Amino acid sequence: MSERRSNAVVWTVVGTVGLIAFWELIVRALDVRPMVLLAPSRIVSTFVDDPGPYVHDAWVTAQHLVYGLSISLVISLLIGAALAAVRPLEHASQPMLVLVMVTPWVAYITSVVLIVGSGQRAVVFLVAFVTIPAFVYATVGGMRSADPSARELFSSIDASRWEVLWRLRLPSALPSLFTAMRFNIGLGLGAAYFAEGAALRLDGLGDTGRRAASFSDGEGLWTTILCTAVLGLLAQVTVALVERSTLRWHQSQR
Amino acid sequence: MTSVPGISVDRASKRFGDLEALAPVDLDVRAGEIVTLIGPSGCGKTTLLRMIAGLERPSGGSISIDGGTPDAARKAKRVGFIPQSPALLPWRTVEANARLLLDLNSGANPPSPPDPIELLERVGLGEFRSAYPHELSGGMQQRVGLVRAFALGARYLLMDEPFAALDEITRADMRHLLAELCEPTGAAVVFVTHSLAEAVFLSDRVAVMRPRPGSIVDVIDVDLPRPRRPELEDDPKFFALESSLRTTLMTGAGRE
Repeated sequence: MSERRSNAVVWTVVGTVGLIAFWELIVRALDVRPMVLLAPSRIVSTFVDDPGPYVHDAWVTAQHLVYGLSISLVISLLIGAALAAVRPLEHASQPMLVLVMVTPWVAYITSVVLIVGSGQRAVVFLVAFVTIPAFVYATVGGMRSADPSARELFSSIDASRWEVLWRLRLPSALPSLFTAMRFNIGLGLGAAYFAEGAALRLDGLGDTGRRAASFSDGEGLWTTILCTAVLGLLAQVTVALVERSTLRWHQSQR
Repeated sequence: MTSVPGISVDRASKRFGDLEALAPVDLDVRAGEIVTLIGPSGCGKTTLLRMIAGLERPSGGSISIDGGTPDAARKAKRVGFIPQSPALLPWRTVEANARLLLDLNSGANPPSPPDPIELLERVGLGEFRSAYPHELSGGMQQRVGLVRAFALGARYLLMDEPFAALDEITRADMRHLLAELCEPTGAAVVFVTHSLAEAVFLSDRVAVMRPRPGSIVDVIDVDLPRPRRPELEDDPKFFALESSLRTTLMTGAGRE
């Protein structure tokens, strides 16, 4: 490991330890109520006392996130490829995409439950729905960024539309798709947590968190919050690793 | 239409809206011949090349390749195109980039195309087969671009100022290499350039163009012996041809 790299690791650890110490100190010094903010030591002890339910809930939420993001990605690639190829279609779809992006999903979750039913379907639907715009924009922008000279080269030997899409446009869109994925992990996790609490599910971190909040159980609430954060962190690390091996050729990874 | 081998440009012209980019031009490129289009910026040389490649349609006149349309030649992969930038795909290794044109529209590949690995070795990139484009210098990237076109085994090669972005020394190396690669294939080449030395060294004939509107002023025969070797560039005959070409070019541009 180079000296610069090991320095980076040292400073990341210093930052993490500093943050946790500061958090612990503030809660103790100001005697903050558990519902407002729970000290990290108490979150850890709540989790360690009975980890089973939290691990189960985290597993359920992780599944919601993975299903939602996967469905969203597939749909977005199809929509994005069509929009990148047909400019009028791109203009026509703007109002819908912007609307999905700016409308607070907190507001329409009841409609979602009424339309797709309560439980897992509503959660996965919301995760997929709210993450589509970022994926679509990344696909369209990335596909359009394909080197014009390379496009001409493909055309000079009459490469098919499918070959242009698969061998040129899609690889060109990969860097922006990874960026969108990082952004969507946070968004999707938020949507999953909220929807689990609102969609009448009986498990998932969001549902346990909502019930803990309604019983003023600060320890339960904050443990689900931290579990959600850890889930997000694991997802980010996984994406970063996949990105590093997939985009070795891209300047962002050099 | 009779099936004559070669490229035939018959009063082909091009308009972009109100702009007349290319006035009607005639040009014949026989099988195995190397013809250079030279002229100042805006003289329509790239437009003419793109029309021959089937990437642009003429507004008037016609172009035929082996008696068929440029579109038919494109579909049959009879034309190897070399763009100005190497246009290598950054996610493909050097070897995979060299094979790119064979991988696409593969149904139209010739029965036994040249081996890209052998070609890479000939241009001195044998050791870089597994490297990625960003690990190569500009000259090396353009060499991969040449291999990619030659690997197609096409009867026609169309090159759009492929060495424009390179430094003078690399550029000289590249034209020597190109002459070496071309000779055994017998492919006809249309080569667009700004460089007098490139035009004289590579060509059998040079078409001198002028702008506003783009047109061919003169076609000059280059009667230097083949094979062409780097030493040729020190020959008085080479200088004489270069000088006469410069005069034609200046006269064409209205600067006598």
